[in-house]
Amino acid sequence: MTIVAHLPQRALTLTEEESAAPPAMELTGRRRASPEERALSETIFREFHADPRYHEFVLGCLNCGECTTGCPAARFYDFSPREMLQIAETGDATTLWDALQEKIWACCQCYTCNMRCRFGNDIAGIISVMRELSVSHGVASTRKTLAPFGRSLTLLMTVGTQVSSDMIQPDFFRDWGPFATGSDRAWGVGADIMRRAIPSDVLQTTRSSWEVSVQTSLELFRIYEETGVLDMLRGLDPDLTEMLIDIIEERREEFEEARERFRTELEGMRGPVATFRG
Amino acid sequence: MLSANEIRKVVQERNQHQKGTGKKVVDVREEMERLEAAGEIVIHRIRPENRPVEVSTLFGWKKRIPTDRLWHHKSCGQCGNIPGYPSSLLWLMNETGRTYLNEPHQTSCTAWNYHGTATSNPVALAAVAARNFHRAYETGHFPLIHCGTSYGDYKEMRKLLVENATVRAKVRDVLGKMGRELVLPEEIVHYSEWVHVMAPEILARQKHTVEGIVATVHEPCHYYKMVPEDAVYDEAIYAGQRPAVPSGILMALGAKVADYSTWYDCCGFGFRHILSEREFSRSFANLRKIRPMVEEAHADVAITSDTGCVTTLDKSQWIGKAHGLPYMLPVLSDVQFAALAMGAHPYKIAQVHWHAASAEALMTKMGIDWKAAKAEFREYLQALKNGQAPELLHPAHGEIETYFAINKGQVLPDEAPAAPAGAGGRSR
Ligand code: SF4
Ligand code: SF4
Repeated sequence: MTIVAHLPQRALTLTEEESAAPPAMELTGRRRASPEERALSETIFREFHADPRYHEFVLGCLNCGECTTGCPAARFYDFSPREMLQIAETGDATTLWDALQEKIWACCQCYTCNMRCRFGNDIAGIISVMRELSVSHGVASTRKTLAPFGRSLTLLMTVGTQVSSDMIQPDFFRDWGPFATGSDRAWGVGADIMRRAIPSDVLQTTRSSWEVSVQTSLELFRIYEETGVLDMLRGLDPDLTEMLIDIIEERREEFEEARERFRTELEGMRGPVATFRG
Repeated sequence: MLSANEIRKVVQERNQHQKGTGKKVVDVREEMERLEAAGEIVIHRIRPENRPVEVSTLFGWKKRIPTDRLWHHKSCGQCGNIPGYPSSLLWLMNETGRTYLNEPHQTSCTAWNYHGTATSNPVALAAVAARNFHRAYETGHFPLIHCGTSYGDYKEMRKLLVENATVRAKVRDVLGKMGRELVLPEEIVHYSEWVHVMAPEILARQKHTVEGIVATVHEPCHYYKMVPEDAVYDEAIYAGQRPAVPSGILMALGAKVADYSTWYDCCGFGFRHILSEREFSRSFANLRKIRPMVEEAHADVAITSDTGCVTTLDKSQWIGKAHGLPYMLPVLSDVQFAALAMGAHPYKIAQVHWHAASAEALMTKMGIDWKAAKAEFREYLQALKNGQAPELLHPAHGEIETYFAINKGQVLPDEAPAAPAGAGGRSR
């Protein structure tokens, strides 16, 4: 599979001003929102309440704190699912905006709060709705928080897997110790040989989690195009989005060339393999 | 905390508050039948050739677990850094004579990304799920989900597609553009459920005793906290108050499954945190999971059944030394543990060398001659380096599959006789 071989190793593109700003986790309450930010906060607030999931996820609150008692993030951050639910239920545009700057990213999405809440709120779900809005509107602190995800987003958008073994490099995962990359150094052979020692051809790649056929990756990209994911990503990083489109265009050409090359083998095939055109 | 009784109450109360009607919890499978009768969806049914085994779920509903002719839905994190998890599962299927497809024609569920960065939305997630469901369907193999998060996400997406006509229409439209139709599997099946029902066959092939082994179980959050109705419970395991998987197979093999106070806590993965804020992940994993497992339960091994959980609990421990937490408790998936007990090669099959916390002391306790296996593996690596072809659990895929989602004998199940020629066996 060649699709991931040529991917540039890059982080999301940030403006100079964004690069100079402190990361999202340090922002809250430090400065007043600008007029543009206030306008954006009003828009987000409106869209938040208009989301069809809102009334399904936010059902009311007893203020009992059961959700927070079991919350892993609450043990380590200035964060509580009760507060998040109450912001969702009764907060105004400003409190919602403040929550978007930092708190929404503390949640681990473990769903423990959901299973503790006797009102049946979907707190993890409503936090996701807040996050989605923050991404699609390109909220500056969110761009900063997600800046390290450029490589994994590229992988995800082009082949649909989150990590590859060649991403788990000692430089980025020093805290995982010397055995995090298949311990190839301990065995005296390279990473490629360690992968070849995995007894399944689809798992032997270093550039993805498994080999992904071109048709499969193009189908996935079609889903992203049709369901607004590409537009969301544009809000986060327009340059990355354009680069992804270029990669996929090349893959589409390659796919059509392959169709010509394998014409005889494909004859008589039915279903998507016969009709899909990238 | 989080006993089955409590979770049942929450599910019931959520339903009441949402619908405002006091309506009882609805089995999504009944709604699926109705939608299929109306021509809205196709149900990918479990067939006799899938050799299903029946188990019970949270509300006592029956769930059929297919044990044969399976389509491996791999996990996007597992294959990159803990490949012994899928390879042990493939090996176990070969040993027990089960057939499967392990294809390059699968995307991940993309839910790690969604829960980490929110750069997706429910329609996209539902379309990704439905795309993979249809791919499994057109091969005539039933999907088997390797990852706890994919399993949770696919349960959510199946429910969403059943309950929401707008999402259903949109997804059907997107699928149509790639020549696919909306197919929902009769059951969403997690691989640990397969391991659970295969216990008699695993036991019959057990080579190493695990009787002296103390195991602590980490229950993956997305297995039982997302759409909890579908999780498997068994009165014989924790009196039916905690999920039956993956504890059941450990008990069946003869290990002592020991309790610890924070069993219900997450592992610390956090989706976003594990990649960009591991200070949280490793603190949580060490302080809230590994420490109680070792200090309260004196565990020899931690067992779990999700990609992110194995990764976080295992890889977070090395740095613990710097904080006076020098545990290095081995962390394995249930299927790696079962494969080791059945005599699988620790390095070629269980691939234990990818784990940060060494499993050597555990293997010694199990009576496994890991030193000999290690020497053999070292020679094997050199042979690979010198150009020897790798040993594979299933035949390699041809070049055409680099491009096209096909396999030999591909056939839509409803048009097929019992077993399409060439699609089964250890074919892929
Ligand atoms: S889903 Fe988020 S808010 Fe809820 S318990 Fe887990 S970390 Fe806390
Ligand atoms: S558990 Fe539910 S009702 Fe209680 S504080 Fe949390 S959100 Fe409110």
